[in-house]
Amino acid sequence: MATQRVLPQSKETLLQNYNKRLKDDIKSIMDNFTEIIKTAKIEDETQVSRPTQAEQDHYEMHVRAANIVRAGESLMKLVSDLKQFLILNDFPSVNDAISLQNQQLRSLQDECDKKLTSLRDEIAIDLYELEEEYYSSSYSQWDSTDLPLCEAYRRRDSWASRDSSSSSVQDEREDADGTSSQESNTQNQLNGHGTVSAEKP
Amino acid sequence: MANERLRLLEDAEKEIAVVLQCAGNIVLELSKDKHNASFLDRQLVQFQTSINRVESELGAQIRYLTQVATGQPHEGSTYSARKDCQMALNRAEYAKVKLGELGRTCEAMLEQQQQQQM
Repeated sequence: MATQRVLPQSKETLLQNYNKRLKDDIKSIMDNFTEIIKTAKIEDETQVSRPTQAEQDHYEMHVRAANIVRAGESLMKLVSDLKQFLILNDFPSVNDAISLQNQQLRSLQDECDKKLTSLRDEIAIDLYELEEEYYSSSYSQWDSTDLPLCEAYRRRDSWASRDSSSSSVQDEREDADGTSSQESNTQNQLNGHGTVSAEKP
Repeated sequence: MANERLRLLEDAEKEIAVVLQCAGNIVLELSKDKHNASFLDRQLVQFQTSINRVESELGAQIRYLTQVATGQPHEGSTYSARKDCQMALNRAEYAKVKLGELGRTCEAMLEQQQQQQM
């Protein structure tokens, strides 16, 4: 708790320091510039000889000009410190920057995934046709346990219309006799890991 | 909003340079035998305007920071969104690689078939 109290005070102290530096530097610039202008005025009566006075004024102007430049450089350093403080501690703008960045990244991710999904759909359509072509040709060497995609879709369609037509039922019987083991094996594979299930007839 | 405040601070830096430039021009003009009074007036007005602007702008920024600043560090991050986006790009890259391999395989098969026909 004591540590938490120290931190806010240091922030306030820092900001008060910034204020003081700002006021001191502005005052330094104004005062030194005003004194240079005053010194530039030529006076008839001087306490020392004219060359000595001129030399003194020359030196004073040099010092005051150097003070103005030093104050200007101190103001630049103050601006740099304020920029750093702003970046680290201006929470509203940091929150806005984070949310904007998150939004941009998520939109990019969504666009990427959308394109991948559409690509997947197109390839699935082509794959369906290719599989149909391949498995109905004489070159196919598919295992009876494997169920190609086109066959799976065809079976699903035929099961859906089983009650509507008898010819489809006869076809199903022929298919069922020839591939009942395949079906059960497929179910076994679907049930997982090649184990024999209780559903096998 | 952050960019706007940083831009204002950069404008303040340019104004500081203008202040020093004007002070130098005034002293240079005063060092001449014959002064250009209108030039001196313009430079003086510019000097006063710029220095007032610097003081007001920096004071406003310090007042804003006094209201907004806390003692705690900001703990927000964009890590999760960045990681998800990186994974999506990796998925796309992987799909591209696989499709490239498939394309090369198909081309090889077609060439082989053409050679057999010949």
